[in-house]
Amino acid sequence: MDIGARSVEVLLHDGAEIVDVIIGDSLRDPRGNAEALFEKILGMNGLDRRSLESVTATGYGRNYFQHATRTFSEIICHARGVAHLFPEAATIIDIGGQDSKIIRLENGKPVDFSMNDRCAAGTGRFIEMAGDILGITLEDMDAATRDGDDDVEISTMCAVFAESEIIGLLQGGTPRDRILRGVFRSVAARTLGMAGGAGVKAPLVFTGGVARNPGVVRAVAGETGMRIIVPPEPRITGALGAALLD
Amino acid sequence: MNDPFEYFASSVGAEIDFIRGEKRRGKGVVGIYCEFTPRDLILAAGAYPVCLCGSSRKTIPAAETILPANLCPLIKSSIGYIITNGCPFFTMADLIVAETTCDGKKKVWELIREHKPQHILELTQKVQEAEAREHWFQEVGKLKLRLEELYEAPIEDDAMRLAIRSMNLERGLLRTVMEYGAEPRPVISGVELGRLRYRVSGMPEHRIKLRELTDHLEERKRRGDYAAAENAPRVLVTGCPMSEGTLKLVEVIEEAGGIVVAQETCSGIKPLDPVSEDGDPLAAIAEKHFRIPCSCMTPNTGRLELLEKLAKRFNAHAVVDLVWQACHTYNVEAFTVGEFVRKTLNLPYLKVETDYSPGDREQIMVRVQTLLEMAR
Repeated sequence: MDIGARSVEVLLHDGAEIVDVIIGDSLRDPRGNAEALFEKILGMNGLDRRSLESVTATGYGRNYFQHATRTFSEIICHARGVAHLFPEAATIIDIGGQDSKIIRLENGKPVDFSMNDRCAAGTGRFIEMAGDILGITLEDMDAATRDGDDDVEISTMCAVFAESEIIGLLQGGTPRDRILRGVFRSVAARTLGMAGGAGVKAPLVFTGGVARNPGVVRAVAGETGMRIIVPPEPRITGALGAALLD
Repeated sequence: MNDPFEYFASSVGAEIDFIRGEKRRGKGVVGIYCEFTPRDLILAAGAYPVCLCGSSRKTIPAAETILPANLCPLIKSSIGYIITNGCPFFTMADLIVAETTCDGKKKVWELIREHKPQHILELTQKVQEAEAREHWFQEVGKLKLRLEELYEAPIEDDAMRLAIRSMNLERGLLRTVMEYGAEPRPVISGVELGRLRYRVSGMPEHRIKLRELTDHLEERKRRGDYAAAENAPRVLVTGCPMSEGTLKLVEVIEEAGGIVVAQETCSGIKPLDPVSEDGDPLAAIAEKHFRIPCSCMTPNTGRLELLEKLAKRFNAHAVVDLVWQACHTYNVEAFTVGEFVRKTLNLPYLKVETDYSPGDREQIMVRVQTLLEMAR
């Protein structure tokens, strides 16, 4: 159970492989939604709670999920999940709804990490906000930014002030695709900046809901000059790691 | 009142009564904010050094009416207490002694000049250089003159020697309690140590209770009443001082299954070195306080040496660096400290930047939990 700020990922594992996955909303009633999704996956697979060897919870809601038999922080879980899929991975960038993190791995084990501090800049929420102002839905963002690589500098460090900056750019006549590419670059740069002096090492794996946005993946690639590995479903590495941890 | 922990948890009322009574008896009261202020000298002048209030978020909104919001919570809380008349010790003080530690502090004293007589100690920041030491010795000498003027009596060498002995005793008692963290299975938690705070130095009742506290800890040892699980990761906390407003960090570390075994901070072991009881007492007082490895000094290599010593003695498994929001010196130094901890001490390191508000408890929990999982 990866109970995040925006979504809940429920993953059923039989010790050898993933049996089933569901992804749902966690908004407004994260506890109730997590509970319902948990029951749903059991029902869909003809299981009951007693047939589970363990229930691991991670994510912001981990300590409130009553059926959990153990909990781990999402950083440990993402690291485990990514190391399972890509044993060579040296760096993970995870950008979710309300936070972003960067994790350094050595031999599949997390050795260092950092997270953004109390601020939506550099998270999925920031991209959503920009999309709202620009009138571009998440689904349309790839198409809107794919052609072209010129962008504009979003200089504000704060999501709230960035909103004013974007409105200012629109009023000044800057094309929307340039602004959006600028937003992507600012998210990429802010997240990569958390790596500190050590910088990021390849292979670099990008996870979390924001990794589904090809525009941001292109921006991360542009900022690092690296090939970016995105798992087939980048939202479930935390839940996968939770299931696999000893 | 049998439990000495209970005594310290609610000692502020007793301290206010004590200071009020002593003032009536003609004793002096000097308010202080920082460990660079030599309490020994204040005691020698026949006054009580009292730490002034500055650890609650409640007074911050009041302070923000006159201060910029992006100052550290300690400065804002302290000023908030002053302008709302919320700190009884400030009201009772004859004099405030403050320092030019960071930019925020040195400028803020100018704003409260009308509220109380003040004496500013100028800290010299290139601590490795002889001129810096000489200047600091002059500053401590000037504080002595100021206290002599204020209380209209010379401070004799014998009075200073007596005060040094008295403060060494008090620092020693605190240190003894903190050293319990070095045991393989500590019987005192970081949260308990964090709540073991008092404001008035030289108060006899405190010393009695500190002694009782060691008896109490010995008793816990006999009973096998340990503060954490056997395999609990041992955390060394460093950085800004721990106070009521940031005790959440220690609480989170211990809720996550770790134990804070020591603090390399001004609320921990850092300021508890003894003053030499030999030679010129004023010079000995100045020397001890000159050696506090604060991030306002440059370069502040003493802090790394102390960290290494404490990490070994307390057998730390991880280091957590507390940085108050807008504390530029600790924040910048965190990079150096992080590199040192990871590469030289080979320990996992986490910097936590926070203020006195409780809103980021969960975010801190995620990081701390990860760090402890890495340390296991």
